Amino acid sequence: MTQTNEIGDIQVAEVLDTSGLLCPLPVYKAALVLKKLEPGDVLELTCTDPGSLEDIPALARQRRDVLLAVDDRGGVQKFWIEKGEGV
Amino acid sequence: MTRINTRASLIKHLANDRQLRRYGDIRDLLPGPDNPTPLVRVNRVTPPDLQLFLKLEWLNPFGSVKDRTAAHLLAGLVERGELADAQLVEASSGNTGIALAALAAHMGVQLTVTIPDGVPEEKKTLLRMLGAEVWETPDDLCPVDHPKDGAIALARSLVASDTGTRYVMADQYENYDNVRAHYETTGPEIWRQTNGHLQYFLAGLGTGGTITGAGRFLKEQDPTIRVIGIEPQAGHRIPGLRSFKEAKPPGILDWTLIDDVIQVDDDPAYDVTERLFREEGFIVGPSTGAVVHAASQLGAGGNEVAVGISADSGLKYMSYFAERLGDEGLPTV
Repeated sequence: MTQTNEIGDIQVAEVLDTSGLLCPLPVYKAALVLKKLEPGDVLELTCTDPGSLEDIPALARQRRDVLLAVDDRGGVQKFWIEKGEGV
Repeated sequence: MTRINTRASLIKHLANDRQLRRYGDIRDLLPGPDNPTPLVRVNRVTPPDLQLFLKLEWLNPFGSVKDRTAAHLLAGLVERGELADAQLVEASSGNTGIALAALAAHMGVQLTVTIPDGVPEEKKTLLRMLGAEVWETPDDLCPVDHPKDGAIALARSLVASDTGTRYVMADQYENYDNVRAHYETTGPEIWRQTNGHLQYFLAGLGTGGTITGAGRFLKEQDPTIRVIGIEPQAGHRIPGLRSFKEAKPPGILDWTLIDDVIQVDDDPAYDVTERLFREEGFIVGPSTGAVVHAASQLGAGGNEVAVGISADSGLKYMSYFAERLGDEGLPTV
């Protein structure tokens, strides 16, 4: 599955909505999805736990993925994460 | 036709008989003062003048000391009406999850177990065989500003989140029913089995349920009994035990009952476990090796009696042992 997100310039391979879930559930679920993707694939992740603004970038750093963009509006955070090589 | 009916009626009337070890339900095997797990002396691995008895908790129906905890946790949840229309979740390094899964299955309750990274495959497979969902969880799951205990944090977040399913956590780390299990069963069993003649009680530090519950009961009978906790090193590989250098002490652990904490590293724990296998035929998990190693450090002797908890069987750790053995015991060309 390949989608174009609302920013319009990132090809998304997988979409995960973790609205209503508290940390560490969004991190856990995001890590599970990223594990299944191919290097270079992008995950579009939606969170509503404000802690995600710290946790998701830290997850990307820890896994050596690339955090392409973050959008934080009205209590909803969106992240676009590109799976790194060899993780 | 008549004969079949007669047989069916005979079978129907076969009542539980503990003397014959005949039971109508696997749960009737759960331990208690009238159905204690065995106390067996260690004869070769410890110093000759130490009378160390192991309480063989792996002979419980679901294979570990946690059968007691799980039964009491579930009974408490049922009594308080907390389980109605809910799914159960628990953070466990395996044994509590296994006992909860077996008991929950009898009640038609679905269980999710959040389990730390690195727990042996045997335990994860056992849980799945029992119908539980297993969520393997790295300790550093939440990379920023969260407790290191990832499995506990994940289980708690399932309860607190809006997932569309109501989750209830048994919470062996904070639920006093865990202590009650050992205060009402393990402690009284040991007191009775030793005729009240013991000077030391040893248990690994994990949730704190065993040492707090049994330790409190034993000290109430005889305040001179020394209660010894066994703590592993940070980054250890002794499932069931916790190093408080890296994990938060559980809320139910009562430090005032503990006279001494003996630190045991992986190597001596595994060395002693191997000796227990080879010299005495105790097929035990590595936490038993840690307990026996700690008992040997007590300097006890003469007429002194120590009782240590042998929490589980070595069969759950065969992959760990195989790794440690390498080529040992295989033919050389």
